[in-house]
Amino acid sequence: MSKSWRFISTIAKKEIVEFLRDWRTLLALVVIPLLIFPALFIALPLLLESEAAELDALELEIVWQGDYNTDLEESFNNTNIKFTFEAMPVNISNLSDIGDDLDRIRTLDTQAVFRLQANDSEWKFAILYLSTSEASNEARSRIITAVGEWESDVVNGTLVEADLDPEATLNPVKWDGDWESADAATKGEQAGLALSLFIPMVIAIWTASSAIQPSIDMTAGERERGTLEALLCLPCSRLELLAGKWLAVASITSAGVALQIGGLLFAITYLASSSLIGVPSVSFASIFLLLGAVVIFAVMVVAFELALAMKAHSVKEAGSLLGPAILFIIFPALFTQVINLDTIESWWFAIPLVNILLAMRELLLDRVILEHVLVWLCSSVFYAGLAAWFAAKQFNREDLVASLS
Amino acid sequence: MTESMLSLVGVGKNFKEVEALTHVDLEITSGQVIGLVGGNGAGKTTLLRLMAGVMEPTKGSVLFKGERVSSMRSKLGVVPESTGLYSRLTAWENIRYHSRIYGIDDQVAWNRVSHFAKQLDLTESLSRHTKGFSRGMRQKTALLRALAHGPDILLLDEPTAGLDVTSARTVRKLVGQLRDEGGTVIYSTHHLAEAEQVCDRIVIVHNGTIRADGSPQELLDLTHKDTLEEAYVALTSDKARLRTEDDTKESKLAKWWRIFLTGKTPDSEGVEEDE
Repeated sequence: MSKSWRFISTIAKKEIVEFLRDWRTLLALVVIPLLIFPALFIALPLLLESEAAELDALELEIVWQGDYNTDLEESFNNTNIKFTFEAMPVNISNLSDIGDDLDRIRTLDTQAVFRLQANDSEWKFAILYLSTSEASNEARSRIITAVGEWESDVVNGTLVEADLDPEATLNPVKWDGDWESADAATKGEQAGLALSLFIPMVIAIWTASSAIQPSIDMTAGERERGTLEALLCLPCSRLELLAGKWLAVASITSAGVALQIGGLLFAITYLASSSLIGVPSVSFASIFLLLGAVVIFAVMVVAFELALAMKAHSVKEAGSLLGPAILFIIFPALFTQVINLDTIESWWFAIPLVNILLAMRELLLDRVILEHVLVWLCSSVFYAGLAAWFAAKQFNREDLVASLS
Repeated sequence: MTESMLSLVGVGKNFKEVEALTHVDLEITSGQVIGLVGGNGAGKTTLLRLMAGVMEPTKGSVLFKGERVSSMRSKLGVVPESTGLYSRLTAWENIRYHSRIYGIDDQVAWNRVSHFAKQLDLTESLSRHTKGFSRGMRQKTALLRALAHGPDILLLDEPTAGLDVTSARTVRKLVGQLRDEGGTVIYSTHHLAEAEQVCDRIVIVHNGTIRADGSPQELLDLTHKDTLEEAYVALTSDKARLRTEDDTKESKLAKWWRIFLTGKTPDSEGVEEDE
């Protein structure tokens, strides 16, 4: 084992051990990344489903004002609505004028008021409801569905009376066959497209944000706690010290990202079984390059954050430097999602951050375009090197010792 | 027989416009406890950091047995004033972390540490996290950490600052024992009585210069005074600098921003200062 590697691995091991002894860190870097996607993709839809079922089972009380229609009332069968019939109020300018019904709707004495008026050959109606109430919205929705069915029956009846075929009259242009089978993209490619819209963004934002805390703790935190001076007295060079700390932060961040991707894959597998989304079909070359892109991105981001944190004199100062810096990741990540990959020029793959995000998108679509790969690979290595140089410069500053209290 | 360990030749150290040390010549020989005595901001810590090789001198050179000290840090043991212990690690883990970087086998380090821990009454606490440690326990742990790799020179920055009487006495006793065993210790303090008690040789640092260097008796002879305190006052009678090495000139942007926020112009500041 070389001397340098002994220094680097010893520093990295100690940093990781010390960092993992904080339960808040474990929560932030292990539990949350692991659960975030399953919670988002599995628990949230299940919760929404159960809420919707609960709402479906709700018996609603609705006031029916004005004219009565037997066919329409039949459309309300099985809608779990209990009607109270009343005469149409006289002091209203039109059916949507809430008038004296305002209070009982706002206090939810009734979930909605359905007004119906026969007018020569047509019918007029309005539904008075409270948009901020789930029950009232549900009442409105059920009434609209029932009115729609009744209207359809009325239209069909009128067409039949006029000796017309309702289907041919109302729907003269039709799609033939199964529209899904007309798509040349495989299920796996479609899944890749869906994932490419958010995976790069999630990886970028999570890598950057999860590296903040360890970066601050291992640099500005050390300065503030007064442990840095003792460390600088050791026989390792500042560059080896930086490398050890970088390895620790990168390992912690990578573990967080890996756990998050693990959670995502679990969620995707679950969703695939319910045929909401397929498993992406990505070649080994794409997976290899994708991992390479993530590693280069991590080198760059972690080095940059370590350098910024080392610039600060205290944890507070480091936080206020690195907090806004995360915006430099979030905005490119958001903008990159809307860039059209079909007609993209190669120079896009040379823009810092954007290049890695675009590369990840292309690779998830299993597009390995040699020119693009070369551009993003060379430019990213250059930027990562630049970030490492900046970090080394910060670690070599003499005032790291001199400015300690 | 004593041999030259550390040599400071024409050493000066500037922090931007602040001259922290001016032309320091010092020779440290083996088997001695050398006290660096001086007031706050005198330059003791800067001198110690130069000796520890964590800073480079602006001029002159600091050599350990003829080599640049920054490349010989493995031969030194340093206890900075802040002790620098990690609270989420145990005392032994803190010590082991440093000794591993020094390339010392865990068992060898443990044997050395156990030996000194008994004298410092810290054996029972080696497996405890340092989070709840008192100042004295932290200082003792830092001492053990600095001794674990068997350094040629031990550099101690204010080792008894903030310690209770018993702990301070234990630390001083250990320093004396190290000297008796042939070790070399550089001991920074601003307590003259302590320096007189522990050190064979006292170096008085004031305003970034060395005002005197010798045994307590030599200092008395030099100043024709009866006590070391009187000798110290005589040697450092000029007004001490109030600057610390932290003081740096405010940047233009920072100054502009401060004036913008406080509404004070440079003129009004001057008036206030005069008043």
